[in-house]
Amino acid sequence: MSKGIVITGIGVLSPVATGRDAYWDALFEGRTGFRPVSLFDTSSFRVNIAGEITDFDPLPLLGKKGLRDLDRSTRLICSAAKLAIDDSGIEITDDNTHTMGVSIGTTFGSLHSISQFDRSGLIEGPRAVNPSHFPNTVINSPASQVSIRFKIKGFNTTISTGFCASLDAVSYAADFIRLNRADVVLAGGVEELCEETFLLFHNLGYLSGMDGAEPCCCPFDARRNGIILSEGAAILVLEDEEHALNRGAKPLARVLGYGNAFDPSADSSFAHAGNGLKSAIAHSLKDASLNPENIDYICACSNSSKGLDRMETNIVKEVFGTRALATPMSSIKSMIGESFSAAGSLSLAAAVGAIRREQIPPTTNYQEQDPECLLDYVPNAARQKRLQNVLVTSADPYGQNSAVVLQRYA
Amino acid sequence: MNKRVVITGLGVISSIGIGKDAFWESLLQGRSGISPVTAFDTTNHFTHNGGEAKLFKAEQFIPEERLKFMNRATQMAVASSKLATEDATLTPDYLSSLTVGVSHGTTLGAAQAIESVDSLLISKQEVGKELLYQMPTQTAPAAIAREFKCSGPHFMVSTACAAGNYAIAYAYDLITLNRADIMIVGASDGISRIEYTGFNQFSAVAPEKCQPFDKNRRGMMLAEGAGMLVLESMENAVKRKAPIYAEIAGYGLSCDAHHMTNASVEGITECMRKAMREAGITPEDVDYISAHGTGTIANDRAECAAIKKVFGPLYKTIPISSIKSMLGHTMGAASALEAIVCALALKHDVIPPTINFETPDPECDIDCVPNEARKHTVNIALNNSYAFGGNNASLVLKKFIS
Repeated sequence: MSKGIVITGIGVLSPVATGRDAYWDALFEGRTGFRPVSLFDTSSFRVNIAGEITDFDPLPLLGKKGLRDLDRSTRLICSAAKLAIDDSGIEITDDNTHTMGVSIGTTFGSLHSISQFDRSGLIEGPRAVNPSHFPNTVINSPASQVSIRFKIKGFNTTISTGFCASLDAVSYAADFIRLNRADVVLAGGVEELCEETFLLFHNLGYLSGMDGAEPCCCPFDARRNGIILSEGAAILVLEDEEHALNRGAKPLARVLGYGNAFDPSADSSFAHAGNGLKSAIAHSLKDASLNPENIDYICACSNSSKGLDRMETNIVKEVFGTRALATPMSSIKSMIGESFSAAGSLSLAAAVGAIRREQIPPTTNYQEQDPECLLDYVPNAARQKRLQNVLVTSADPYGQNSAVVLQRYA
Repeated sequence: MNKRVVITGLGVISSIGIGKDAFWESLLQGRSGISPVTAFDTTNHFTHNGGEAKLFKAEQFIPEERLKFMNRATQMAVASSKLATEDATLTPDYLSSLTVGVSHGTTLGAAQAIESVDSLLISKQEVGKELLYQMPTQTAPAAIAREFKCSGPHFMVSTACAAGNYAIAYAYDLITLNRADIMIVGASDGISRIEYTGFNQFSAVAPEKCQPFDKNRRGMMLAEGAGMLVLESMENAVKRKAPIYAEIAGYGLSCDAHHMTNASVEGITECMRKAMREAGITPEDVDYISAHGTGTIANDRAECAAIKKVFGPLYKTIPISSIKSMLGHTMGAASALEAIVCALALKHDVIPPTINFETPDPECDIDCVPNEARKHTVNIALNNSYAFGGNNASLVLKKFIS
């Protein structure tokens, strides 16, 4: 018999709000978080809009001590961890620290620190580089700083499967609980907005607005022409159900099943059929012992790019068959943008809110129907609905696909 | 009943040999792979040596038109996974009939691509798409999975210098959980200017040679490489009469939660104890420890102190060697290559030496198998790895007995 795994706390920082209740308010109100970038100079780019967390201030959450040398990703994820720990009410002590872990998805979270360190060596010479910046150049630095700050000693893992990284980090955490390797895991993801990541998505042509028009994040809409890049961090406190109940915690939702699958035929523009995403969804449903008709809402990974939105729509039609039209599917990326490795954790945080508040967040900015995307995308306004089971998806252009099923906690 | 997991194939790209046979031969001969770095200019660095895999010719493994989309760590990962699957006598047709996954580790997978982009940005030149496609960290496992059409579970872990052990450990879990029949696992890192500069600024790099556990050791040696292993459920391996090197008996992870770069004796002690507890073994059972053994003053001192705590009076009787004395520190790849060493030691009952050992250090008074390989029955081996962030992983391997 598999162990029950529950979510007992959530910490979120996103372009629309900080903290889980404010985040849920923003999503159900359909607020968007897109504005001109202030973190770096965008004059050499054709696009200057992103989902930046402009009001981010780690001081009230983390205090002044030890903050100076931390990069933005690390500050974001440590802040999310603080919010999540407080939300869950868990106390970390010498007695339980070895049964607690940290599992974080990030891929470009340290890219800015890496690149700045390297460029400093090139410009000023290797002997002039500040050694105190070197620890920020490892990809596991954000996750490790969470353990250091909150004294979590069981394990610490960083997962870098691109767009799928934070769903994979949650699956990894859940496996560790199932295998008795941990009772409690802080699982989530983080990406910071920076010049280097922006350059990558810009020069590869992924961004909306490359044609000079106003950037527009409108998943499933016929007008969609690319993503709006964003940043964020979310941590979910995953906990062995029995452990949670024994300490009097009130679970927010249950992690019922998960799966991932690679797609060797993946194409970076998502022109492929999507068999990997289909397998990932099938694995997650099987793991949850559910059928497609048991899913009440799909929190989609579609991000306003031509290929991915069409691919996910087609796969949902294949998996859900005649039930596809009756299963609402929305993309919160219409409000918070594409935060890459953080996206899955932000979607899970949204899905928990949907279950708790009995509301489905909308796909905002939806205007023109695309004949290739004809499902119920919950356009422009949140919808009241009691949800029992929610499916959350992620798909990476290099081939990884992941899915997680959450359930209402009775 | 959990499935048992065995190792059936090994693939190596290293400064001392391409392929597991050449690698093992060099290790037993105590050959050093250290030479002057040529990948980037070290004129203004304090040191100039490193462990580059100069024998590696990517084009011998990968068609030209695909190479241009791969960073060096990805090239080495694909090449060593080809060697590992060949060694395991796995054909592409057979692999496509099973659920096969990939689990890969790295410290800074895309380092060379990032460095090339940085150079272009400084000189205000256009950054081309071929280079940008190499930037994501997950390109190495993705390229392996494409090569062998693996549609099973897929995992990329970036836990710095312990990444190889983390990748192997989770692949082991995935097979025991029955989510895959075979996992192609390991880690790779190309030699990196960023790491070279950083460790130089930490005064952690030895000027000439790497001397783990020596009283006069002067630091680590930056290096590169890839180690890939084929992990397989025992029943599948036995059914297809595969060559079996060793069995995975368990692992332990821990986090120091103390400091980004200073190892903690408490953290690595806990890590070894967890691994041994899971494997159901006691200190008397361990025949060989493949040390993290980077050759820095602090690391070797902390590791020896932790070994003393875990093994008590037995600590002087267990052979403990560091192949980093020959290879240097291959970053994320290190513990994958060291797991390969453990598998070969279990198979052949020989232990590779710690070379460059000259002067005993009272703080490291272990049996480090100085300078000469040793014939020694190895039934159980412990593979230690520690990383920045205090991310620790120890793996227990044992001789396969059906």
